[in-house]
Amino acid sequence: MNKFPLRLSRRDVLSTTSCGFGYLALKGLLGGEAGAAGFRNPLSERPSHFPARAKRVIFMFMQGGPSHLETFDHKPELINSGGKKKDGKGLLAPRYSFQPTGKSGLMISEIYPHLAKHADDLCLLNGMHTTSPAHPQATIALHTGSQNFVRPSVGAWITYGLGTVNQDLPGFVTINPLGRLGGAQNYGPAFLPASYQGTKLTVGNSMANISNSVFSDKEQRRQIDLVQSMNRGMLERVGVNSQIEGVIQSYELAYRMQSAVPGVMDLKKEPAKVRELYGVDNKVTSNFGTQCLMARRLAEAGVRFIQVTHNGWDQHNGLSTKLKNNALATDQPIAALITDLKERGMLEDTLLVWGGEFGRSPEGQNQDGRRHNNRGYSMWMAGGGIKGGIRYGATDPLGGTAVEDKMHTHDLHATILHLMGLDHTKLTYRYAGRDFRLTDVYGEVAQKIIS
Amino acid sequence: MNAHAFFIIVILAVSGSLKASAIEKEPGKIAFFEKSIRPLLAKHCYKCHSAAKGEDKGGLTLDTQSGWMDGGDSGPALVPGKVSESLIIEAVEQHDPDFAMPPKYKLSDLEIVNLKKWVAMGAPDPRDGKPAKAAPSAIDIAAGRKFWSFQPVIAPVLPEAPDHKWVNDPIDRFILAKQGGKGIVPVSDADRETLIRRVTYDLVGLPPTPEEIRAFREDPASDREALARIVDRLLASEHFGERWARHWLDIVRYGESMGRTRNFPFPYAWKYRDYVIAAFNKDKPYDRFLTEQLAGDLLPDGDAEAENEAKIATGFLALGSMDLNERDKEKFKLDVIDDQIDVTGRAFMALTTGCARCHDHKFDPIPTTDYYAMAGIFGSTDTLSGYGSRQGGGNKMNRAALISLKDPESSRPVVVEVTKPGAREIKLQKQLTKLKKEQGQLIEALKNFRKANQGGAGKVSNDSETPFNAQRAQQRIKQIKGQVNRLQKQVNNLANERKQGAGLSGNLAMGVRDSKTITNCKVRIRGDADNHGAEVARGVPQVLTKGKQPDLSKDASGRLELARWLSNPSHPLTARVMVNRVWHHLFGTGIVRTVDNFGQSGERPSHPELLDHLAARFTGEMNWSVKKLIRAMMLSHSYRLASEYRESNHAMDPDNRLFWRANVRRLEAEALRDAMMLVAGNLKLEPAEGSLVEKIKPGEIGRNSSAPVVASFSHRSVYLPIVRNYVPEFLQVFDFAEPASVIGRRDITTVSTQALYLLNDQFVIDQSRAAAKRLLNGGKLAGYEEQINGAYLLALGRSPSGSELTEARRYIESASENGQSKVEALGGMIQALFASAEFRYAL
Repeated sequence: MNKFPLRLSRRDVLSTTSCGFGYLALKGLLGGEAGAAGFRNPLSERPSHFPARAKRVIFMFMQGGPSHLETFDHKPELINSGGKKKDGKGLLAPRYSFQPTGKSGLMISEIYPHLAKHADDLCLLNGMHTTSPAHPQATIALHTGSQNFVRPSVGAWITYGLGTVNQDLPGFVTINPLGRLGGAQNYGPAFLPASYQGTKLTVGNSMANISNSVFSDKEQRRQIDLVQSMNRGMLERVGVNSQIEGVIQSYELAYRMQSAVPGVMDLKKEPAKVRELYGVDNKVTSNFGTQCLMARRLAEAGVRFIQVTHNGWDQHNGLSTKLKNNALATDQPIAALITDLKERGMLEDTLLVWGGEFGRSPEGQNQDGRRHNNRGYSMWMAGGGIKGGIRYGATDPLGGTAVEDKMHTHDLHATILHLMGLDHTKLTYRYAGRDFRLTDVYGEVAQKIIS
Repeated sequence: MNAHAFFIIVILAVSGSLKASAIEKEPGKIAFFEKSIRPLLAKHCYKCHSAAKGEDKGGLTLDTQSGWMDGGDSGPALVPGKVSESLIIEAVEQHDPDFAMPPKYKLSDLEIVNLKKWVAMGAPDPRDGKPAKAAPSAIDIAAGRKFWSFQPVIAPVLPEAPDHKWVNDPIDRFILAKQGGKGIVPVSDADRETLIRRVTYDLVGLPPTPEEIRAFREDPASDREALARIVDRLLASEHFGERWARHWLDIVRYGESMGRTRNFPFPYAWKYRDYVIAAFNKDKPYDRFLTEQLAGDLLPDGDAEAENEAKIATGFLALGSMDLNERDKEKFKLDVIDDQIDVTGRAFMALTTGCARCHDHKFDPIPTTDYYAMAGIFGSTDTLSGYGSRQGGGNKMNRAALISLKDPESSRPVVVEVTKPGAREIKLQKQLTKLKKEQGQLIEALKNFRKANQGGAGKVSNDSETPFNAQRAQQRIKQIKGQVNRLQKQVNNLANERKQGAGLSGNLAMGVRDSKTITNCKVRIRGDADNHGAEVARGVPQVLTKGKQPDLSKDASGRLELARWLSNPSHPLTARVMVNRVWHHLFGTGIVRTVDNFGQSGERPSHPELLDHLAARFTGEMNWSVKKLIRAMMLSHSYRLASEYRESNHAMDPDNRLFWRANVRRLEAEALRDAMMLVAGNLKLEPAEGSLVEKIKPGEIGRNSSAPVVASFSHRSVYLPIVRNYVPEFLQVFDFAEPASVIGRRDITTVSTQALYLLNDQFVIDQSRAAAKRLLNGGKLAGYEEQINGAYLLALGRSPSGSELTEARRYIESASENGQSKVEALGGMIQALFASAEFRYAL
């Protein structure tokens, strides 16, 4: 029996396709993965809808609902209303004072002395609001735009829309993500192809399976060569096949990632000065400082969307101690990240987003705490395409409800996509017979904050 | 003329069948509108219902005549001349709080009278101008029925075959006919080694053993006969069900936990999994399989075992991933119904009926009313997953919200003892006891004090030295009361948590039953739970009926009638969709490639006649037997082709939509894991009992419980615990179906995380070395060549070519020179086989 009646060499195969061998070779040199017969690397770079203001996003997620009234939303009237009743509930005066900072005189809480030095880069979003006042729904909505259905996360959408610059690294990385409140759903691809899923990294631990525990690099290369030789043999037998071409490329990429990822993750390479800046070696700031420094290294290496997470902002009590401790752990690292990006000329095309799933109530709870508040809260942005030193939006005089330039989670998403050069109404994916969007049928870009 | 007389005249005028347009021109009536109605509408209604302002709450505008004529989501705002039929009047009278306007107050009596008067006089309205929105597009059901997939299945005449010898099954005639039209000639047959590997993976999800390969290769019978023997043997294997059940579990979004906001475990979900495996193994006719899943609880009683089985089948409807944090009970219920409509529509009909929840379907002729007709059926059903909405009984497992099976003998009884209180509970209980004691003492002391001090002295008159301060005691009692309440709550919670895990016995399952009250569902305008529209009679999508709805009993939900309607051979979709799913799994792509979408937005069939031919055979001569269907497809000549390339065909049909060669198919995650473990000699082939999910703490996963550890689990992958958001890594890396969605066709990605997994994960290294040990065992295969040959046979089902042998040998020798042991060196080479495309694909 003639098993392989038509023997084709790899060269034959490649030259018969529309792109031809030259194209593949060129893409190979450039580190792309496009190949024969329409095999297209899902992570290869794609053009934006219009010129982008930011090339990458670093999202700093403060889990729990940080109090805007003690951080970024200065409410003088609430200071004077402490102890007074509103709708039968006692108002709680802010536990910390605010100072005008920078040339802009932006009012920032005393618990952020380091960040305050960058006031002129920040755009405070004081009119945030979201649909649900419960942690799980609001967290999932913040990450995926939907609290009712399993939908792709923001990072997955952006990677789907733009691909990634560095083919040796994943396009979407999340450091120390939550295991609950939606867990992996918050960085999942849902119905988008699996390539757009966020890659999970943890502090003190690199990526899953990024190194081999039994072979030396040389030994493993020989093993990969054996695999690739078999793969090429198979490709010759079956002829044009984009999947097998894809398998071959995936081993080369995996091999490159093995050398690239640990390098990017190796914070020991950073000079002592930089480690100090981020507070990597200080017990209080170590965890978040490490996350921020990892984020900067990943950003520099070409990762498209990076999320860092800090837990424990759910102050139903202990505002005057716990909130301050959170600020102590994060203030210096965040400021360091801004300084560092600036020094490298990267702040102008890196979009920084800070915030939690909602904010807190002007009414007090348990003497020294506040309830959840989804009707009005604050986030901030800085960097790529953002006007610095301004407040956008406002809550009512007591800080309970957003009343001016309101920004819903959908608007936040629309604005992030816009800054990345993506039109949120056009970034769609067809699934189950209809075109889905990150913003569903909602979302307005906050034009006023764009420089 | 007084108002009363005027009113009577108007009614007479209207009853004289004068049209509104005629009346409009009468200046007196227009004057009435201008004086009394226009200001009223402007004052009370325009805020939310004005085209000029762009406000059209509920789709209604009232600042033009056409605005109220077209009306909003609930229909035209008024019927000229008919006060009692006019929604606007019903709304302003505010008899029904769900349908009351304006929303926050009521019009004055005079205003209401004027509005009625205006309607009664025929609603003269001089305001022209266009409303803000286009008139709603009415779906033309009759035209919709002409769409290919809604047309009845009619067995087509068999096409003439140019080459009769080539035809093994009528299927081949359809395939050849299409190819012939394009000048395409099918490639040659696959060799027997390739074929047996393909067939074995397709039927049981495992590689063939070297002995099976040899026997098949040496079988002197014709290819067709020899193949038929293999197919029959594998169809009879109990591993067949394990393979094909998993295809079905993908479609029904099978998961063993709630997922989403509160990820609580489903410790009984595995019973549904085992039901599906058994159903495929016994070749339960598909119409029966469908009926049991939708309405097994309503089927006539058989013996206890059959009854249990049918009840477990309804787990199909209860396995959805719901948001347990949803506080709105009504919304929660509607979300459950939505999940059920979605899974029913897509699994059995490949129709995205769920799209019609908030608006008429954008592509298919399914109006919102059809959605709520089905919602009435599921709304009259109690869904028993063990959990309810937060308001409806908390989000902890509730045993009462499960199905109790009749005969506990028929399934494994798992009775869990109540565990002893933990350290925290003991500590809290101690504090509680102490506080209660203090409280008791203080109350007693206060009582004594009061008794002793009726005269008003300040000290207790007993022998105590310390002065008793009544005020302070009272304060303390109050303080303690708060603490006691708080502690008691905590202790109760901890104790409940312990008890919930206990006493669970094997005679429980997830599923559904009919509700006590059977009710129709009201349309929810824009899908908003609180925005009620018209009530719709329970029923099925109109476009799939010939104008006649199935007769639904008033005393039952209608699920049984729904199932009977779906499983009627004349249903245009049920059989087509199922044969297409089977085809997809055997040929790599469906005849309709969008296997879960047979609607407008799905793809059209490449071979519509073949699809109908198969559908007709499936419901006819095969009597819904899935095994017969699979057998027919596998014994067709088309299935047996090689996967080789042919330039002339490729130029005409690069996507192989005409099936001129076999598609190279990537093996699913389960097949890969099972094959590696089988080669390594580590796979336990007997079914796993139950699920690891039964054994975890019954709390929220990721919070006070964790997903089971699967590292040492050695049963087939179909038995791995599928905890939502915690799908085992191996499965996840290799494109497992997301367990909250209906997925008839998995993603096929080739990402480097897969390469990294195969190169570096300890699991793969362990399996490779175990396989090496197995080959080296006893030193029977002393030479490299024999070892390499053995490894190729086990892993790839064939012998290596000369150059492959040389390369593998060179690898092993060089590894040995580097100081690797025999097992390590051969293991490294076997790992390369596992990582190779050939191992990961079926040719």
